Amino acid sequence: MRVNVDLRLKDVPGQLIRALEPISMNEGNIVGVVHNHDLVTGGRISVNVTFEHKDQKTLDAIFSAWRERGVEVVKMGEIFRTFAAEYLIAGDLPHSALRKITEGIESMEGVETIDLQYSLSTSTSNKTVLLLVNVRNKAKVNEIDEYLKTRSESDDFLLIRGTGV
Amino acid sequence: MISSSYAGRGCDMRLALVGFGTVGQGVAEAVAMKKDLVFDRFGTELKIVAAFDSLTYAAEPRGLKPLELVARKQSGKGLGKTRPKSVAEMLRELDYDVLVEVTPTNIENAEPGYTNIRTALECCRDVVTSNKGPLALKYRTLDDLSKKNGVELRFEATVGGATPIINLSRELLMAEKVDSMKGILNGTCNFILSRMGEEGLPFEYVLKEAQEMGYAETDPTYDVDGIDSASKLAILANAIMGLDVTYHDVRRTGIRRITQEAVELAAREKKVIRLIGEVNGGGIEVSPRMVPLGHPLAISGTLNVLHMHTDLAGSITVVGRGAGRKETASAIMSDLVGLLKRNACLLNGRVK
Ligand SMILES: NC(=O)c1ccc[n+]([C@@H]2O[C@H](COP(=O)([O-])OP(=O)(O)OC[C@H]3O[C@@H](n4cnc5c(N)ncnc54)[C@H](OP(=O)(O)O)[C@@H]3O)[C@@H](O)[C@H]2O)c1
Repeated sequence: MRVNVDLRLKDVPGQLIRALEPISMNEGNIVGVVHNHDLVTGGRISVNVTFEHKDQKTLDAIFSAWRERGVEVVKMGEIFRTFAAEYLIAGDLPHSALRKITEGIESMEGVETIDLQYSLSTSTSNKTVLLLVNVRNKAKVNEIDEYLKTRSESDDFLLIRGTGV
Repeated sequence: MISSSYAGRGCDMRLALVGFGTVGQGVAEAVAMKKDLVFDRFGTELKIVAAFDSLTYAAEPRGLKPLELVARKQSGKGLGKTRPKSVAEMLRELDYDVLVEVTPTNIENAEPGYTNIRTALECCRDVVTSNKGPLALKYRTLDDLSKKNGVELRFEATVGGATPIINLSRELLMAEKVDSMKGILNGTCNFILSRMGEEGLPFEYVLKEAQEMGYAETDPTYDVDGIDSASKLAILANAIMGLDVTYHDVRRTGIRRITQEAVELAAREKKVIRLIGEVNGGGIEVSPRMVPLGHPLAISGTLNVLHMHTDLAGSITVVGRGAGRKETASAIMSDLVGLLKRNACLLNGRVK
């Protein structure tokens, strides 16, 4: 998940590194840093950091490291970045089978939206649908990929995935 | 160590050419066309000292005339004499430097290519091949044998026709670690999928068209079920990513079941459907995928493309013609030149 924080650091050399270290030490990924030298309040400068963290545990670890290092967290907000995954499903699928597939995906954690689109022409007994899924992280896309691959083998439909996010 | 006797100026590079169909004849023509260039550059005479088809052969220690061989084969007379014993037995007795193995690909048991290649490697001869079967099924055995005997097994022509994929990766990109590859490795499927997308035609119709145009075989199984792509992907995974896999390890879905509706729905999302081979940490797979229009993999027609991701260079994409008489001969020539360069290096000889 992505997080955006406003930090207040002492305006002495080496403070920025001290503030960023806990993120990388806890497997976080720094996405952006905006360093604002002008905004000094009470001998402190303001830095805005955007980073991705693995889970709540690592996020907590980052926050406690900041506390120990005297880094003040002024504001924090979660940024939900979603990833789109697209699939085409073609086969002799009864409606109930399709519903089972979408329900399977819906029940996964981190799935934001699911959208099904049908083709206008239905020339064959075959049904073809486009499945658009929005998820919270990339790992989830792999999970849905695997789920659908397994389903395509057991339910005997053709699965066409995208080429990745 | 150099076990080959043909290194250095003034030496001949004597080829035994096994298989004299499309590719074999293309190689004979390329040898005729490029022998002066090779002589100027390396001081080596390129000679075909033996040639085989399924029943007949011709052998001449001083070198056969390549264009005469092609003319004779095309007149339906075979290459010369009827072969008295197996090609492998003859490969043990003949005097040659490099086996050029271009018999048909067999993905069931790799024969006759496997025995031919093995025999040559056992006799400490270098091998250049376009035959996918032996490499897609027995890569490690052949690779180990060639290393043990200090000779080379080169196979640029097995994947991507004229597109320099294997030598590019193994030579120029030697210092890179390739962590993933994605590509279109079968021109027939790509032609069919491009036509389906561009003209809105159904699979069966475009397949017939491809057969009439000579892009697809009468039995299209090998292409449209992804067998050819899977063989090539297995070869690349071994050769470029250092994996130890065979054709059977590739998860494979072909293009037969792709409907017009699927093509149309993909187009709505500004995507095209292509048969993509992919190797990454998650596995090795050939399957139809949706590719965004304008993406390097969204190529049309019979072209092949390979997209690699490496640790230093980042993304590299190679596109080119995937098959054909001249194109495949081009890849075989590049391997022969690779052997000549190695010889020049080993001898520390100077190359102009
Ligand atoms: N064509 C391409 O564009 C292309 C591209 C890349 C790789 N390749 C690969 O290159 C190889 C050759 O392809 P091709 O298109 O040239 O095939 P081809 O036209 O069918 O020619 C095969 C040749 O091998 C000969 N042969 C068959 N069995 C033999 C045996 N047991 N011993 C000796 N010779 C035998 C055939 O003899 P007869 O003439 O007597 O039938 C023929 O001359 C295949 O492995 C193919 O997958 C082809």
